[in-house]
Amino acid sequence: MKQLLYSKRLAPYLFILPFLVTLAVFWVVPLGRSFVMSTQEVLYGQATFIGLANYERLWGDRIFWQALFNSLRYMVLTLVLLIPIPLALAALVNSNIGSARIKGLFKASMFIPALTSVVVAGIVFRLMFAESDSAMMNQVMEFFGFGPVRWLRDDLTGLVALLAIALWRWTGVNMMYFLAGMQAIPTEYYEAASIDGANKFRQFIHITIPNIKPTIVYVVTISVYGGLSMFLESFMLYAGNNSPNNQGLTVVGYLYRKGIEENDLGFASAVGVVLLVVVMTLNIGYLAASGTFKKEAA
Amino acid sequence: MAAQPTARRSITPSAAAWIQGAFLVVIALISLVPLLAIFVGTFQDGNEVIRRGMTFDVDLGTLSLDNYVLLFTDSGPYFRWFANTLLLTIAQVAGTLLVSSFVAYGFAMYEFRTKTLWFIMVLLVMTVPFEMLMLPLYVQVNDMGLADTYAVIVLPFLAAAVTIFFFRQYFLGIPKEIIEAGRVDGVSEFGIFFRLVLPITKPAMAAMAILNGMLCWNNFLWPLLVLRSPEKFTLPIGLNTLLTPYGNNYELLIIGAFFSLIPVLILFLAFQRFFIEGITAGAVKG
Amino acid sequence: MTRLRTTVSALVAAVAVTVLTACGGGQPEAPVKNADGSTTLNMWTFADVHAAYYEEMAERWNEANPDNEIQLEVTVYPYDDMHNKLQLAVNSGEGLPDVVDIEVNKFANFVKGENPPLVDLTEAAAPYKDDVVQARLDLYSKDGKIYGFPTHVGAFTTFYNTEALEGAGIDYTTIKTWDDFKEAGTKYNKETGKAFGVASTSVMFLEPLIAAQLGGEFFDADGNVQVNSPEVAETLSMVQDMQDAGAVSTIPGGSPDSEEAFGAINDGDYAAIVYPAWYTSRFVDYMPDLAGKVAIAPAPVTDDAVVQTIGGGGTGAAVPAVSPNKDLAAEWLAFAKLSPEANVAVWEVLGFDPVNMAVWEDEDVTKNPDNKFNKYFQTNLFDVLNEVKGGIGHFESFSDPNWPTVDDTFRTVTLNEIYENGTPAQEALDQAQADLQNQLGQ
Repeated sequence: MKQLLYSKRLAPYLFILPFLVTLAVFWVVPLGRSFVMSTQEVLYGQATFIGLANYERLWGDRIFWQALFNSLRYMVLTLVLLIPIPLALAALVNSNIGSARIKGLFKASMFIPALTSVVVAGIVFRLMFAESDSAMMNQVMEFFGFGPVRWLRDDLTGLVALLAIALWRWTGVNMMYFLAGMQAIPTEYYEAASIDGANKFRQFIHITIPNIKPTIVYVVTISVYGGLSMFLESFMLYAGNNSPNNQGLTVVGYLYRKGIEENDLGFASAVGVVLLVVVMTLNIGYLAASGTFKKEAA
Repeated sequence: MAAQPTARRSITPSAAAWIQGAFLVVIALISLVPLLAIFVGTFQDGNEVIRRGMTFDVDLGTLSLDNYVLLFTDSGPYFRWFANTLLLTIAQVAGTLLVSSFVAYGFAMYEFRTKTLWFIMVLLVMTVPFEMLMLPLYVQVNDMGLADTYAVIVLPFLAAAVTIFFFRQYFLGIPKEIIEAGRVDGVSEFGIFFRLVLPITKPAMAAMAILNGMLCWNNFLWPLLVLRSPEKFTLPIGLNTLLTPYGNNYELLIIGAFFSLIPVLILFLAFQRFFIEGITAGAVKG
Repeated sequence: MTRLRTTVSALVAAVAVTVLTACGGGQPEAPVKNADGSTTLNMWTFADVHAAYYEEMAERWNEANPDNEIQLEVTVYPYDDMHNKLQLAVNSGEGLPDVVDIEVNKFANFVKGENPPLVDLTEAAAPYKDDVVQARLDLYSKDGKIYGFPTHVGAFTTFYNTEALEGAGIDYTTIKTWDDFKEAGTKYNKETGKAFGVASTSVMFLEPLIAAQLGGEFFDADGNVQVNSPEVAETLSMVQDMQDAGAVSTIPGGSPDSEEAFGAINDGDYAAIVYPAWYTSRFVDYMPDLAGKVAIAPAPVTDDAVVQTIGGGGTGAAVPAVSPNKDLAAEWLAFAKLSPEANVAVWEVLGFDPVNMAVWEDEDVTKNPDNKFNKYFQTNLFDVLNEVKGGIGHFESFSDPNWPTVDDTFRTVTLNEIYENGTPAQEALDQAQADLQNQLGQ
């Protein structure tokens, strides 16, 4: 026992043992099971091997492709919105003009939405984007001279509502990420650039962006992950998994529908495997390309 | 013409600051609208809010404290959900901090042959969507007889990849001399971790407590799957149960949703710095 | 280190073996009695009002059977949640209640395959069977065995807002066929600019009704999905035509049975709701402004209708096969859902049209002037029911094992395509047919 406690050779393994056990029990085994189940038909707990039939069905399944398209579309649009906007806001807050007090209050109020759970956010946005003329977003439309919109009935307007939730919850957080990155940049860089006559915008492009690249890489990675695995936002916004014309259906939503709601565990596992492949390919490819692995593992 | 640049230089900074301030205030206000809406909603008739949606056009005469009375007199299991969630959050945060920092220490302070492999595993786990594992894991915990227990909500996340990653970064910044000094004094490897290193990681602990606490307080999908008994429900699950056409619970839904935010808001106002560090952890140093 | 690695691999292997070999499927155990000789029955339901009703029926059972009392523990879950949990529990064979309410559109999920996980209730139903609307027992039957007991008939009726109609000079008693309905609706819409009937997108009720009247089904004789059959296509075109003419419109919330719709109907925005009879309770509970202004009449029919009406919606109460108390549970359930006294309560407490037709004749019950439903409506629900009594058909498609998938596809995609996006009915149905064939592997 004493030897064990003092052994420098064994200690690291004992330290990381909880992770190894977690990895085995809660990741590797279910992952393997997921692959096995994706080749089975499961009814009331009885499994029958059916080869790749689930994948064949998946390939020909219009709704699956729609769900995948919805997830990818959502991911791309969240990237388009949730990188530049927070970046611009962070630059604004980081600039040396303006009152520190207003900036402090601004940061706090941008951050508060991140504290609300998706369940609560979904309920609130569902009610703000209600169909009735007197609902908040329709009053905004009216103010700008447009008629009432049946937000959650149409594909694009429903997407607007989903993106509004994402924007509301994540702008503040992403802004904080970028802000922290910007504050770590030595001020001498900017001073040198000013002397060379570079204006604010050129400084932003040539100094700020390259210096916060690791932060951008990180934010993009979690956004890709978050965008592709989005489910709860849609589930709460549409008060269930059945949105009109499946306009809010995502890959995870489809997995949930097939596996939990329709009890087709085999098929749902096939959906899961495909999702895994898509997310891992995108993220590993991206992380490898940005050199993150090499740096972390070194 | 020549004078203009000088004039601009002398006026612009204050004008720019003013414009910037006004812009930030407007954005901040927009961002607070949904919270304001739900706050106003707590004074309105729940069924009416569900029927017509949340509105700017609030009829002040119809506002009442009825929902507050309902919440504190006849809210059924609401406060039980609240207590459950609190308990579960505390247990999970404590467990995750301890286990994850323990693991992270192994990665940060030792050299061993398979370290790179296992650390890449940590990074990979961060990119696997948990939703994908949910179904097989559910079948698995059922077989293990662990369904409908809090243990099964907590266990898979004790060695949490993101938290391990964060602590490892933090430990890398701790001078190795502390550890060597401990060894010279005859402290065991684990004694060094528990007695010498943990006490100096308080800021990292606070940040991670906040991050994990929030995730846990708002955790929905996995508990929804594994919990069966209504007396074990957590706040997000309980709130979702109110959103059903067969229940007639809309009053409680709105005020219940609002009250579920309060603990987090209070903590945020008290420990703002740690919140921001906790949630933005990993990005900067990564 | 090698030793350690071996230990870790052994551990992983051990976990994997335990996990992979363990399997569900518990066997029924012997009945469990409490110390006082009573038996505890756990029940799941998804509606608060059902829970109150079952508790009442448990008390009445105990009064009648003091030597065989039950302690009913009802748990109310949200609709989706309860059915999902039930499926997961059925898969593992563990954590199941003794009695469970299963909504009709989910019921087929639990009677799939050769050996459904529910108890055959045929014997328990025997004492009451003759008085009960056969179509409703058929709904929860498979291969001649009854697996669930109905709560109500859900016969289709039309709820007319007579105040609104009078303003437009329309006499609802002259509306007998869908052509009449369309004509009246078109006229009403022109005169008032308001909507008359409802084309629901999130609930599929009207379509099975009309398809049944036309003699159509959503599946062919071999159980293959056939949602683009001529009768179904005619049905959807008919409703689409009515929509184009202004006689039916979509409604906030997607169906009359949603909070948003209650608001709209209560405001008088819709004048004629064709819906199952249990919708009475929604008027009384959620639309107080219309009290005294609504008349109930039979649902319109097609020319040469094969059946006059069918039952819409419903809940099949069932007993999971692994329940240790399944015999007592079945006996109590038959009492609680099929007996005459239970059916009086179904009407008086829930306002649903009871399945035991003996009640329909009992004027002390049906014409009771103090009854809140009788007070609310201008006409008596049972007069309408007795009028259609001989013409209540069973719509076979409802009990097809693949009905849940079909219903889901229509409610999320097809009905939206047709009523919201204006896609021609035939085109939308062909699309649905292709999607369903792929999904069902047919």
